[in-house]
Amino acid sequence: MLQTLLPILIFAALAVGAAGAVRRTRLWRQGRRTPMRWHRLALMPKRYLNDLHHVVARDKAIAHTHVATAGGYVAAMALALVVHGFGWRNPILGGLLLAASLVMFMGTIAVNLRRVNPPAKLSKGPWQRLSKSLIAYSVGMFLVSLPLVGVAPTVLGGGVLAIVLAAVLVWGLLEMVVGMGWGGPMKHAFAGSFHLAFHRRPERFDDNHPDASPKKTHDVHRGSRSTALFPLDLTAKTLGVEKPADFQWEQLLGFDACVQCGRCQSVCPAYAAGQPLNPKKLIQDMVVGMAGGSDSRYAGSGYPGIEVGKHHGGPSDAIVPQLVEAQTLWACTTCRACVEECPMMIEHVDAIVDMRRFITLERGETPEKGAVAIDNLIATDNPGGLDNASRLDWAADLELPRIQDRPEGVDVLLWLGDGAFDMRNQRTLRSLVKILRAGDVDFAVLGEEERDSGDVARRLGDEATFQRLAERNIATLSHYRFARIVTADPHSFHVLGREYGAFGGDYVVKHHSTFIAELFDGGRISVTAPAQAESVTYHDPCYLGRYNGEFAAPRQVLAALGLEVAEMERSGYRSRCCGGGGGAALSDVPGRARIPDMRMEDVRETGATTVAVACPQCTAMLEGVVEPRPRIRDLAEMVADALVEPTAAMNATSAPSQSREEEPA
Amino acid sequence: MSVRRLDPHAERARRNRLHPRHHEFARPAWRWTSADGVTRINPHALGAIGPNGIKRIDRSGAAVEASPAGGASTSAEPARRQIVIDQPVGHVVVVPELPEGRLNDHDRDLFGLARQLADGHDLAVTAVTFLSGVSGFEDAGADRVVDLSAMVTEGYDPEPRLAALVDVEAALSPRHWIFADSLPDGGDLGRRLAARLLPQSASQGANASVGDARPATRVWQLSEGKTLSRAGDRQDILRDVARVLLALPECAEPVSETRHEARVIELATMGGELSSAANEAPASGVIDRGRVAVDPQEIPLAQAPFILSAGRGISDWEGYHHAARVLGASEGASRVAVDDGYMPRSRQVGATGTFVTASCYVAVGISGAVQHLQGIAKCQRVIAINNDPSCDMVKRADLALIADGDAVLAAVCERLGQPRDQTGSDGSWTDEESRHAAA
Amino acid sequence: MPQPEPQAAAGTPHDVKTAVLVSSGRHPVSGRAGRAREDARAVEMGLSLVGADLSLVHAGDPEQASLRECLEGYLGMYHGLDDDRDGQLSLLPLRAGEDALPLLAAWLERSGVRLALTGQRAECGEGSGMVGYLLAERLGWAIATGVAAIERCDAESVTVLQALPQGQRRRLEIRLPCLIAVDAVAEAPRQSAFGPARRGRIETVDDLLPADESRLDTGSADWQWQPARARPKRLKVVKSTNARDRFKAAAAKSSASGGQVLTDLSPEEAAEKLIDYLRAEKILAQDDQ
Repeated sequence: MLQTLLPILIFAALAVGAAGAVRRTRLWRQGRRTPMRWHRLALMPKRYLNDLHHVVARDKAIAHTHVATAGGYVAAMALALVVHGFGWRNPILGGLLLAASLVMFMGTIAVNLRRVNPPAKLSKGPWQRLSKSLIAYSVGMFLVSLPLVGVAPTVLGGGVLAIVLAAVLVWGLLEMVVGMGWGGPMKHAFAGSFHLAFHRRPERFDDNHPDASPKKTHDVHRGSRSTALFPLDLTAKTLGVEKPADFQWEQLLGFDACVQCGRCQSVCPAYAAGQPLNPKKLIQDMVVGMAGGSDSRYAGSGYPGIEVGKHHGGPSDAIVPQLVEAQTLWACTTCRACVEECPMMIEHVDAIVDMRRFITLERGETPEKGAVAIDNLIATDNPGGLDNASRLDWAADLELPRIQDRPEGVDVLLWLGDGAFDMRNQRTLRSLVKILRAGDVDFAVLGEEERDSGDVARRLGDEATFQRLAERNIATLSHYRFARIVTADPHSFHVLGREYGAFGGDYVVKHHSTFIAELFDGGRISVTAPAQAESVTYHDPCYLGRYNGEFAAPRQVLAALGLEVAEMERSGYRSRCCGGGGGAALSDVPGRARIPDMRMEDVRETGATTVAVACPQCTAMLEGVVEPRPRIRDLAEMVADALVEPTAAMNATSAPSQSREEEPA
Repeated sequence: MSVRRLDPHAERARRNRLHPRHHEFARPAWRWTSADGVTRINPHALGAIGPNGIKRIDRSGAAVEASPAGGASTSAEPARRQIVIDQPVGHVVVVPELPEGRLNDHDRDLFGLARQLADGHDLAVTAVTFLSGVSGFEDAGADRVVDLSAMVTEGYDPEPRLAALVDVEAALSPRHWIFADSLPDGGDLGRRLAARLLPQSASQGANASVGDARPATRVWQLSEGKTLSRAGDRQDILRDVARVLLALPECAEPVSETRHEARVIELATMGGELSSAANEAPASGVIDRGRVAVDPQEIPLAQAPFILSAGRGISDWEGYHHAARVLGASEGASRVAVDDGYMPRSRQVGATGTFVTASCYVAVGISGAVQHLQGIAKCQRVIAINNDPSCDMVKRADLALIADGDAVLAAVCERLGQPRDQTGSDGSWTDEESRHAAA
Repeated sequence: MPQPEPQAAAGTPHDVKTAVLVSSGRHPVSGRAGRAREDARAVEMGLSLVGADLSLVHAGDPEQASLRECLEGYLGMYHGLDDDRDGQLSLLPLRAGEDALPLLAAWLERSGVRLALTGQRAECGEGSGMVGYLLAERLGWAIATGVAAIERCDAESVTVLQALPQGQRRRLEIRLPCLIAVDAVAEAPRQSAFGPARRGRIETVDDLLPADESRLDTGSADWQWQPARARPKRLKVVKSTNARDRFKAAAAKSSASGGQVLTDLSPEEAAEKLIDYLRAEKILAQDDQ
């Protein structure tokens, strides 16, 4: 009986699953269309086996489980199609089918073990069911294939057992084939593979990209760190994303690929601080919006402080506030920890910024201080609303060379960033100037012609202001000749280096840590070992590390100073954000804890007395932590203090910086 | 006599850029960008001459111009000369603000300005007041006083006041009207009068006097028969003295060496026909419905007159809120108190929060970070209550009490008869508020 | 940010035609053109009163380069309202040296406006704050200045709160039609958003007055404009007939030099000192027990 039933079951499941898949595809294609490039489907296997798997393999056990389960399933399904579906009942194939089912079963056992006491980050509900369904499928497929190799009792062919077996198999097929098309947990395989093929950032998979990391371990990006935000067409009918259908269809596809593994949730600084953001829930809400309905069926952790089940959405309904509260979007620090962790390569930050763009550009509901900063940027070119001509006031005694006086060009254009208005950061900048002078670097500054890079405006969603600033900065830079730009601000570094390209500004931009490391390498500066060894840890700024892949240079600099770095548990590509990026310091969404306090806790755990930083924003956030706490020092300050002066005359430059800080403006 | 003397030669040379000695007198910019692109600051062009004749450049932000109340008063004031003008050929009318029924500094400046216009032209400075029983006009510099209190009511009734002023205009035809350019008081009334007078002057024909008919607003200096008034967009207007002047504080030195008779005159005796605009006034367009009690917590922090600010030194937050209610103070907070979630972000005082202008600022348990001190730079009086006598807030404070903040606030409530456990969260701010208004 | 509008909720008559007279603002630091701060508050007040029915008017030189950008700043405030109509602004073209008053008066009369809002002073030009008063005088309207909020508006009158120094308020009832000058302490203006600003319409109205009428503003012909000078700080002049007093006063330390520090106080003593000080400074009333 099973012999006749099996092909019907398999083909029926495939047919119903395919119908569901067509429907699912229609859901994705509600998004804004882009030209379809079918040939990209061919890229999928490599992206799956290589790029995706390296992210998964950061957790070895899960990787092995998934290889066994998924590999066993794909093999078993293909063989079952041949053997049971088309009736080519070859004992060898049957043996392979049995083996595949067995492998899958073993993986399934691991899955079930993990699901006995699932960690908080995992979603339950259908995902809990999936673990059982996997058993049903693998066991059912194993048992039903046993007769192929002749070891099975023939009673399996009929009677009550056969009915039971058929029922188990139907359960398995429903979950594994039909569910794939109709939106069960297994849709991740279907959506995920298409998502890999049609990913909006193909550079992330390009091993030969000039930016790609040469090291190929699990911990580094395989391809380029494609982290620049996509420019927005300011003449478009709607600006940003109001409703799910405003996303590009690839983005909707990407949301649908989510496996709710919760890795994003466990690394999100806002979630940990009890702010109402959970990247996993956000992506699931986007899926709810795309398919229509309410979030009541979501079976994972919600947004802290916001009840699950009260929100609903549809493809053409506004997302904020029916589906997602605005606070959720403003809590994001754009640190990209979620994107870095996501095994499905989902782009959370792009989605959040897209929705912020609508809120800011169309609704004018940027959080209050953010709106003030944007107004200031429009009026004065810096977010503090200060006189741009006072950008160099802190350096009155340094006689910084101006690029305006160097028509023949300079080697290094020193980009000061908005830290030039901040008394704390001015100390860093003075140190950096001292280092540049000690290294005999041919540098100059733009002075009052420098404007804010537009980073804050862009992350707050004000693409119009960002583009205006970018165009003006690019126009200014086009007047002058320089080989490269060096900046102590990773945000400027990222925006100038990666995001201005789309507006016609292509520059070689180096972060000061990279540049100082180069000075050390070239033997252009020398330092004395510190008199007493202090224990140091290093905090990776998001926009330097995750955004731009610079993890090595700062550590190289610290090593050159003779310091041993006591690494925090979360460092490098897993560094935890200071809470100051993406305008989050301005939107200031309340939570249980403050992000910088949590980060300082990380620092304290290392026992370090000094935390080395490389970003003005991180400095400000970490110094905002109540004392007593480890000292916070920029790399440039540490190097400048240890510098062996080439001439005694240079001594004068560092002395006044201490007293300046005390002085109220 | 420490009268500031102007050297007319120097002034002329300074104004005339073609003058051969112009450079000697021209005031140089205090900051400029030199040829090699470096910002230069000339300390000699900065600052003000202190009372001891030494130039002082004060960048501390800690200095408060107001002298401590009651202290350092001028001890032996020289006797003033009595000036009597019996038969004035005309009038310069000053309409003082008289907040709380007294002449304030701004009013005295207005009289100083009026004296500059009147002296030497045999004109009388005439004060027009809507309050009776105001003293001090003699020393302020008024030759005549017109009391219009009978024609108006208390509160805000600009239309009867305007009608009364039109009567004065008819009776005295003053050469100049001087108002304080403050809204919604003198600035409002002055502009109403100017708008009323303008069509008349304009209808007299487009002659040279038309320019004078337009009121000069925000006047801040009078020199050589011209007034300087501040315009928008960082510009000044130099023009002939207008008929109606709305002047800023410190527009002129107050009268200090003379005393005037301040003779009360009745409009009816002046002979001019009273238009009695007040009698035929149409139904008033603006009706004053009275003061509104304002909860100190609802006053925007930047304008609050009295702030009780809390920092890390506070642990009894209920007690603190209660003390703020008892004292009728607006609540403020340091950044840390806000970060710790005890106070809303909108209450944060400092460079990263709100810059406050309170006349009295009480900082309880705030050590005084640089940003916080920047935020309270404009507060007239600062009181610090702190356990740590060495902290910056104590250095900044006019009065520093080295004690535990929680305990002091509790004791304050006790002393004011409203200890915390007896009074609940009643709306006691309202009567506190009225006391404020009175104070 | 979305503005709660409790005052407008109570039966706002949408038949009271409301307009805001807007001007071109100057940023106090950079001098760049943008929304004028008080005018933006007036627009905010108008929007929370009548929503998208609010009309805007500006009399200015249409040739001026930054004008469009600046006016779009006001149009960008038309969001978060009950209906999503785009903002509309009437631009009354004015050449340099012409008087705006007849144009504005004619426009207000023609468009049937009964409630006109504006800031107290323009941020460029003379900035005398006279336009409102002259318009009110010319049209016979009531005018109130320093308004911080509109509490109620019906067909006959509008009830407002007037801002007094140090956060105090006074309630005024004003007969319509009237002109209201909005104070800088009124509700902060909502953000100007790029999208609505881009969609808002600016309509040029140039048939208000007969072309031959001379509108030249002759009053200011002989004024001299000059960059604003820093106002001199008033010196503390010590008046005394005897040299010793003058010397003592001059040699006295400046008032900024530190305050009184009282240590070793019990809380009760400290409380007494605090209360005494506050009473001496008239922060607390004397009779307070």
